[in-house]
This record gives sequence, C-alpha cells and structure tokens, in this order.
Amino acid sequence: MAATAAVAIHQFAECITCHAWSPDQSMIAFCPNNNEVHIYKLFTDKWEKLHVLAKHDQIVSGIDWSRSSNKIVTVSHDRNSYVWTQEGSDWVPTLVILKLNRAALCVQWSPKENKFAVGSGAKSVCICYYEQENNWWISKVIRKRHESSVTSLAWHPNNIYLATTSTDGKCRVFSTFIKGVDTRGSQSSTATDSKFGEQIAQLDLSSTWAFGVRWSASGKTLAYAGHNSMIYFVDEVELAPAAQNLALRDLPLRDVLFVSESVAIGVGFDCNPMIFAADDTGLWSFVRFLDERKATPSTSKASQLSEALGKLYGQSKGTSSDTVEPSKPRGGAHENCITCIVPLTKGRDGTIKRFSTSGLDGKIVVWDLENHITMAK
Amino acid sequence: MASSAAYLDADENLEAIISHIEQKSRKIETLLKQSKPVEALKTALEGSPLKTRDERCKSANWIVVHRAMMAIRDVDGMFNSLDPEYYDILMKYLYRGLSTGDRPTCDQCLKIHEKLTEKAGLGCILRSLADTVNTV
Repeated sequence: MAATAAVAIHQFAECITCHAWSPDQSMIAFCPNNNEVHIYKLFTDKWEKLHVLAKHDQIVSGIDWSRSSNKIVTVSHDRNSYVWTQEGSDWVPTLVILKLNRAALCVQWSPKENKFAVGSGAKSVCICYYEQENNWWISKVIRKRHESSVTSLAWHPNNIYLATTSTDGKCRVFSTFIKGVDTRGSQSSTATDSKFGEQIAQLDLSSTWAFGVRWSASGKTLAYAGHNSMIYFVDEVELAPAAQNLALRDLPLRDVLFVSESVAIGVGFDCNPMIFAADDTGLWSFVRFLDERKATPSTSKASQLSEALGKLYGQSKGTSSDTVEPSKPRGGAHENCITCIVPLTKGRDGTIKRFSTSGLDGKIVVWDLENHITMAK
Repeated sequence: MASSAAYLDADENLEAIISHIEQKSRKIETLLKQSKPVEALKTALEGSPLKTRDERCKSANWIVVHRAMMAIRDVDGMFNSLDPEYYDILMKYLYRGLSTGDRPTCDQCLKIHEKLTEKAGLGCILRSLADTVNTV
C-alpha cells in the first residue's frame, strides 16, 4: 500500500486564513485568523516563530511571497495593503494606498513580480506597481464589471492578463497592461495591444459564488470552482472559450492548483484534496481523493443526513442514537475546510511534485505527489 | 446553443410551455396505466420549465412531477433505471415536495431523498440549494 501523500502536517494555530512560503521554502508566513502575520522557520526538526508582522488592524486575508525579489505583500479586511521588505533581521512594511472602501480579500504577485493585484469587497481589483522615482507603490483600480466581491485572482504567464472570480458567479479576464511597467515588445500580440482594465473575457458558467481561479502553467487552460459543487475548465479563454462543467459528487471547492497541463488539484469543504485529470482528448474528470481515510462504514454522510431528517419529520430509522453528530473527525490530514493551496517544488519535467494546503483547522499540510499520480505525457 | 433571452416572458411562450406540460400529463397517465412509473417520472422531469419565472408554469410542472413521483413504489428499483442526468432536477423537485408539508408527499420525498443522496452525493443537494436561477 502506497505511503500517504501527506508528508508533513503542522498545527500552527486554531485557524489559518492564508499562507505563503519563502523562496527557499525554509520559512512559512501565515495569518492565524487575526490581524497578524506569523513567520515560522524550520530549525532541524522543529518550527520556531521568527517574526510577527503586526501592522494591520483586521484579519489578514491574503499573503503572497515573491520568489525572486523576496518581498511579502499582505492585504487585510482593514482595506490596506503592505509590502514587506527584509532588512537585516527585520521586516519593514511599506503602506500601499489602495483607496478601498471595503475589505481587501486576496492578493497575488504577478509572474515578473513587478505588479501585484488585490481583489476587494468593493467590487474592484487594484493593480499595484512600483514607481522608482517616488519610491512607492501606486494602485490603479479596475472598477467596472464586477457586480460583487472579488474572491480570487490569477495571473496569466504573460504578466498582463489577470483572471478574477467573484461572488456574482462570474469569472473574468482583464488586461492589466501599464505603460512604463509592461513593454509592448517587437511582436504585437493581443495581450500587449490591450488597454488597462479592458475585459478580455467573461465566463458566466456558475450562478453561484465563484472561487479559486487558476491558469495552467502555459496559460492555455483556466479553472475555477463554483459554490454549487462544480468545477469549470476552460480552454482558449481569449479567442474561443471552450468550457467543461464538472459536477462534483461532494462538497464545494475553495481553491484550485494546476499540477501539470492535464492534472489539477481542488481543495475545499471535503477537507481532502481532489485530483482531476484530462485525458488525451482534453476531457477533464474527477480521479480520486488524494488523502487516504480510515473508513467509517457505518456512518456515511448520507445515512447521518437521513437520520437527522428522519428526526425532523418524526420517522424512526433503524439504529437511533440520541445525538446526531454531523461532523465527526474523518481521520484525514485536515479536519476542517481547506481554503488555500500553494505550489512548492517542481520536478524536472515542469510539473508540481509538492504543494501545501492550509485550512480552518489551523493546520498546514505538505503533500507529495511522487508515486501518487502517474503523469500521462 | 445560441445564447438567447434567459427568461421567456412572452405570452405565447408561456402558452407553449403549458400545453407541453399538458401533453406530458397525458403521456404520464398512459405510462402509469402501463405500470411504468419510472418512465412516467422521466417524462415528467424532462423539459421542466427551469428558466421561466412564471409561477403558473412551474406549478403546472410540479403537479405533473408530483403525480409521477407518488406513483413510485420501488424506490431502489427506480434508481436502477434512472439516468444520472436526472439527479439534479429530481433533487430540486424533492425539496419542493418537502416544502409542501403534506404528510404523504413528504414521506415519499424523504424515501427518495435518502436513496438519491446515496447515489448522487452531497454535491447534488448543494446544486439544488445554490442554484437560484434555474428553479422549480
């Protein structure tokens, strides 16, 4: 029997909102569901708290740590964003004025790390870039189009296109081309010809809240999750969107990660990463859950549900217990909803071999895909 | 399918839907007389007016679905011949049935709900709860 895919499980707090790794993966930054960001470092075999970044007034909803420039960007419900730079042994914050009148919900560095995007409850997306002359970050806002809060963001590898999901159920792709920051280049492409804030595509596949948008590494495929227990895979978003709607058997997903062009992982309310794969024709389907669970044969979710309903309507079912517990610990790595999935190590073939997840149970779990997924090439 | 107006509110379209439901009703009565309750249920579920906002149409279709649903005696057997494409729409009608509060209807709905959840999973329930656009 193959070893379990969860190679490391760390209980850092009671609840974690988001997390990010340092470029060399020796340190981890996360928000323990309060206004702080804790940075832990692994010393031999024990995690020690190294820094506490305490500048925000409310919950830190998004953290991203850039790989090359080693900067941490944090956003919070307090409508602010800070870019933290390491100077010696301290992290020095720089306030970025977002001009938001609602909470900031998510943040992502662009692939070239010269911009970052912030999604907010003000139905807008802020694109921030660094202005060398004045030594500060400027925010340009995309105010149009979104009819509700922006829940997640994903940068296309071309550093210009940004995909967003919103609680209005739609997934949109915008251009974030900024003169002086992005270059037009000798070859004109649709991306470099586009204007800032221009909507490239709008996907109206879900009538419910949308979360967890992600591009595949090449930018060819886009995936996002709907709160109606669906996951959507869309090819060629820019030219001729071809979407596949996958209905999930179980609870909805909150975040998605492409491990390769044909394998994706979804995480959410089932507390167990779900593996999706595309066959040779490009047809996506659910493969299996990643984590092996200790089987509890007598208490399936369905029978618990019908027991509860039976009590509501006064029917007596077979074995009745006095208390119906809807959420028994299921014996897996995570005990509560997984809200965040972050890639860690890539193999030589460019596919992701390790990733980490964090959730409402306050755990961060590192997963290894070696021997668990055979990559069809 | 070309994108067209999501909601068919023109009178003639509503009349077309109602007459389609009446057609279904006649077919269902025939199938029930032939002791084919599962076929009757499939007929009732097909072509349900999800996109329209007109309550008359929705109620008319519900009556037809209810008739077929109440005629089912062997719930386990039903699932042997009911294709998965009907699961989501059936779940929506089960909740409509549960909301009536009528004892026999609720009993039947609960029986079917237990088996449907086993077959289709919690995702099916979620889709019926979360979808506020395509309602029954």
